[in-house]
Amino acid sequence: MIQFLEPIINGILLGGLYAVVGIGLSVIFGIMRQVNLAHGELMILASYFSLLTLQLLGLHPLLTFLLVLPAMFIFGYLIQTFLFNRVMGKGMEPFLMISFGLSIILQNALLLIFTPDARSLKSSLVIQSLNVYGLFHVPLIYIVNCAVSILVIGLLHQFMKRTYLGWAISASAEDLSAAKLMGINPKRVYALAMGIAAVTAAISGVLVGMTFTFYPHSGTQYLIIAFGVVIIGGLGSLPGTFVGGLILGISQLVGGRIIGPGFQLLSGYIILLVVLTIRPQGILGRG
Amino acid sequence: MSMLEVRDLDVYHGKFQALSGVELDVERGQIVSLLGANGAGKSTLLKTISGVLKPASGTIYFDEKRIDGLGPHNIVDLGMGLVPEGRKIFSALTVRQNLLIGSYTPRARKTRNETLENVFHLFPLLEKRSRQKGTDLSGGEQQMLSIGRALMSQPRFIIFDEISLGLSPLVVKELYKTIKRINQDGMTEVLVEQDVKRSLKVADFAYILQEGRITLKGNPRDFTEEAVKKAYFGV
Repeated sequence: MIQFLEPIINGILLGGLYAVVGIGLSVIFGIMRQVNLAHGELMILASYFSLLTLQLLGLHPLLTFLLVLPAMFIFGYLIQTFLFNRVMGKGMEPFLMISFGLSIILQNALLLIFTPDARSLKSSLVIQSLNVYGLFHVPLIYIVNCAVSILVIGLLHQFMKRTYLGWAISASAEDLSAAKLMGINPKRVYALAMGIAAVTAAISGVLVGMTFTFYPHSGTQYLIIAFGVVIIGGLGSLPGTFVGGLILGISQLVGGRIIGPGFQLLSGYIILLVVLTIRPQGILGRG
Repeated sequence: MSMLEVRDLDVYHGKFQALSGVELDVERGQIVSLLGANGAGKSTLLKTISGVLKPASGTIYFDEKRIDGLGPHNIVDLGMGLVPEGRKIFSALTVRQNLLIGSYTPRARKTRNETLENVFHLFPLLEKRSRQKGTDLSGGEQQMLSIGRALMSQPRFIIFDEISLGLSPLVVKELYKTIKRINQDGMTEVLVEQDVKRSLKVADFAYILQEGRITLKGNPRDFTEEAVKKAYFGV
């Protein structure tokens, strides 16, 4: 039994990171009923931006947040305003196409600028680990990831509950025409929401860049993780995304311990299939 | 110029002409009733005035400013409030938050606390239930919430869309008392109603729509029952 303590604990911590990966996707679906296929690329774009800042200014990766987050907010706001807002209200296909195109452009731009070499945001956190009662090790970076994740989700939750913009986003998600009658301008709300989604993608991108190596094409694998998290936890539910992240993280590491380390991804997706079969709307999903 | 002036309005739903040559005036301080059978075009007219739909031709002026073609959020900012059909209370928000979001526009947000006090004064029940989920209220209470929410946007002009739907006569009587009271405090109002009798009793002026055209207009006290029936159904 004790042998499972390590993958469970580490799975929970990893799950925290996965939750932040999934939030951006969940928020955009919740508000606009759209799926942003460029979500993974927004993450990796932030990873590379952080790399640049790190190399040019010699900052610790966590400090690069100060530059990367505002930049990514503006980027998200702009792509919604000039790209996606043109097709809002025209169904899901145009949005999917534009986001897919955007992901291709971003991937290849990163490839051109940074070459296909493996990169990572180096810090001592990856090497250091916590020794838990001599039983097992927890990499410090996992703890940092989970702590940041809880902070982000907590802040977002408070934002949605207590601020005018948060209410405007919830109202627009529930009934757009009624929201317009309040004086809410949908295009502006969508742009701000996409900015927020880009910031959460950026946070997860930097954390991921610190924890694992990344390449220009890494966006795709994280998009799939985001999908997994959001589907397990339930579309459009913030607490659901957190639960989904935990379940995916635990399934991956426990499954990897039971079957074998090469089967981590597979274990995660088996659980995903199980959830889809038993409860398609997700554990906390509202359909 | 009237406070609201609609001239020569044509509105289409696809190929179907929903409104033909509609002309309407609302003077400052009036209560104007808009009546008609289902499908006559009341809803379409309201949606066009509030900016949800765009007319194919014709003009709408509000306080001498042209508003046809503007979006709903712009029109609310100009001082026109709408109490929508079906209440449309946000279930994601509490009663208090539903009211506050009515003050979303910068102009209304500045004085929101004062406006909230006034709304609670008008509807003490809403203050009692302020922390409950908006949709946990009964039909009549939600209607009060919807009216309160429209008031939060600091309008000079309110359109009430079918507020008696699904409510008991006693509740409707109370709501109409409130409508009169708000009007006495200076609000210009348009009532769209199925409840013909009550609506005509309280209105200064009335319009009846049939198949997209105005078939009768005038002071309700001058209407005969036959004239109303004819304007409504065409028989």
